[in-house]
Amino acid sequence: MTETKDTVAASTEDAQTMPSKKRPQPAGITRRGLLIGVGSTAALLGLGALRYAGHNPLNRPPGGADEAHLVSACIRCERCYEACPREVIVPAKIEDGLLGMRSPALDFNTGHYCDFCASENGGVPRCVEVCPTEALALPAGAQLGNPETGETGNVIIGTAVIDTKTCLAYRLTGCRDCYDACRYDAIVLDNAETANPLPRVVADQCNGCGACQAVCLSLSSGSIKSSERAIVVRPIQA
Amino acid sequence: MKTKNLRVLIAAAVFVVMALGLILGVSTGTLSGFGWDTFSLLCPLGALATMIATKTFLPRAVVSLILVAIVVLLVGRAFCAWVCPTMLIERIRGFFRSPKKRRALEEAKHEEVKAIAQQELAEKAAPLTAEETASLKSGHQCGACGGCAPQKHGKFDSRHGVLAGALLSTAIFGFPVFCLVCPVGLSFATVLVVWRAFSAGDATIGLIIIPAMLVIELVLLRKWCTRFCPISGLMNLASRFSRTFVPVINDEKCLETAKGVACSRCAEVCEADINLRHLAFGERTLADCTRCRACVDACPTQAIKMPFLAPKKVGATTIPAPSTEPAAVMEDEELVAD
Repeated sequence: MTETKDTVAASTEDAQTMPSKKRPQPAGITRRGLLIGVGSTAALLGLGALRYAGHNPLNRPPGGADEAHLVSACIRCERCYEACPREVIVPAKIEDGLLGMRSPALDFNTGHYCDFCASENGGVPRCVEVCPTEALALPAGAQLGNPETGETGNVIIGTAVIDTKTCLAYRLTGCRDCYDACRYDAIVLDNAETANPLPRVVADQCNGCGACQAVCLSLSSGSIKSSERAIVVRPIQA
Repeated sequence: MKTKNLRVLIAAAVFVVMALGLILGVSTGTLSGFGWDTFSLLCPLGALATMIATKTFLPRAVVSLILVAIVVLLVGRAFCAWVCPTMLIERIRGFFRSPKKRRALEEAKHEEVKAIAQQELAEKAAPLTAEETASLKSGHQCGACGGCAPQKHGKFDSRHGVLAGALLSTAIFGFPVFCLVCPVGLSFATVLVVWRAFSAGDATIGLIIIPAMLVIELVLLRKWCTRFCPISGLMNLASRFSRTFVPVINDEKCLETAKGVACSRCAEVCEADINLRHLAFGERTLADCTRCRACVDACPTQAIKMPFLAPKKVGATTIPAPSTEPAAVMEDEELVAD
C-alpha cells in the first residue's frame, strides 16, 4: 500500500514540476519479469514432479520412518548431521534419487552405528531433538531400542540382512563379529557348538541399529569382491 | 575499513563458522536453520514451505517468520548484502573476471547511469521536446543500454513470480521444492560434500552436480538476487514497509542538485540495482535496499547518509528544498494514518 502511495506521490510531484509530459505511470510487471516468473514456475513444477520419480529407499534416522512425512518436511538444513554424536547420519547422495538428495540417511559403513543416543543423550536421539521442522519426529508411543537392556523397541530403522555368499562365517572362518556386536539378540548362531558357527538374523528382534554392519569385516578381510558388506541394514520401506 | 570489505568479512565469517560447525559437529546450524541445541531460527521460505508441504502449523516456523519480518522491517534486505553466501560467490566471481571485462562492465554501467542523469538534468533545466529527447538519446547511445527510459515498478516483480511458483509446486507436490535448488543451501551442501569426499572417501556425482547447480543459478541466470531469488522476493514483501536506515541524499551537497553535474555514482555502485538519485530509472526501488552502504561510500561529496529515520521524504525530487518540506510532512502524516 505504502509503495503505491509513494509512486503516486512521486508522479504527482513530477506532474507539478513538468506539467507537459512524459514518464508513463509505472505499472504492472515487465515482460522480462513475466518471462522469468513463468519460466521459473514451470521449472519448479517440473522439479516438484520428482515426487513421483521417487528415490531409492534409505535407512532413515530414528523418527524418519514415515518416508512421505520426512520428504515433505525436510528443508535440508543439515542440523541433524552436525547433531549426530556418532556422525552416522550422512546426506543422501544424488545417486539414490534427486528427490532425496541431501536428506538425512544413516551410513553404518562409517564404523559407527545408532544407539538412539542411549549413551550420549540419555536415550533421546539428538537428531530428533534438533530437527527444526519436525521432519524427524518420534510417533506417540514410540519405544526406542535400548542397548543396555536389549529391548528392541518399536522404532525400526531397517532390518539387517546377511549375504551368505560374501559372509566370512559362511566361508567357515569362524567369524562372529556381528553376533558379538548385536545388543538385541537379533543375531543367533547356527551350529553354535562347532568351530564354525553361522550367524543368522532374527528379523523380529532387529531394529536396524547397524552395529553389525559397522563391525562387519567382509570387505576389509579376505579377497571378496562386492560393493557392500556381508551384513547390511536394509530400509524398511524396501 | 571500507564497508564492502567489512561486509565480505562478516559474510565469510558467518559462512566459515557454520561450515566448521557442520564439519566438526558443533551445533551452529546453517542459514537454513540457524541455531544451537534445540533452538532454531528457520529460513523464512523453508518455514513457509515446510508448513505448506506438511499442512501442519509449526510454532517454531511461525515464530521464525515473525522474527524475520521484524528484522526485515528494521533493516530491509540487509541479509542479502551482509550475510548471504551468494554474495561471497559473486565476489569470488568478480575476482576472477579479467580486468578488461571488469572495466568494460563498469564502463557500460557508468555510461548508462550518466546518460540517465544527463537526460534528467537537461529535462529539469528545460522540458525537452520529443526531437530533443531523441537527439539526446542517440548522443548517449541509449539504444545500446536501453536504460534511459523509466522502469516499471509494479507491486510485484519476477522474484514474486518465482516465489509463487515455488510455493505452488510445494503445495501440489507436498515437499519444499525450492530447498532442493536453493543457492544458500547448496553453498553449505558443497562444503559438506567436499568434506565428505576427503574425510570419508565418499565419491558421489553430487561433487559435480551441487557446485554446477550453484554456477547455473548464480552465473548463467543473470542477476539472480534481483530477478530470481524467491527469498529476496519474500523479504521484499516486508522490506517495502521498512522506513529505517534508508539511504537519504542531502540535496545541498549532491553534485547533481547543488552543481548540476551528472554524477549518479550512487546508481553506479548500487548492488541492488537501485538508482538512488533517479529512482524511477532503477530496476528496483528503495523497497529492495540491502543497506550495503555502497552508495554512502561512493558518494564523492558524502551527501548520502543512512539515518535511523529519514528526516524527509526519501529521494525527494530535485526541486528546491523549501517546496519539498510540506510534501514531506504530508508523506509522514500519510504513514501515520496507515
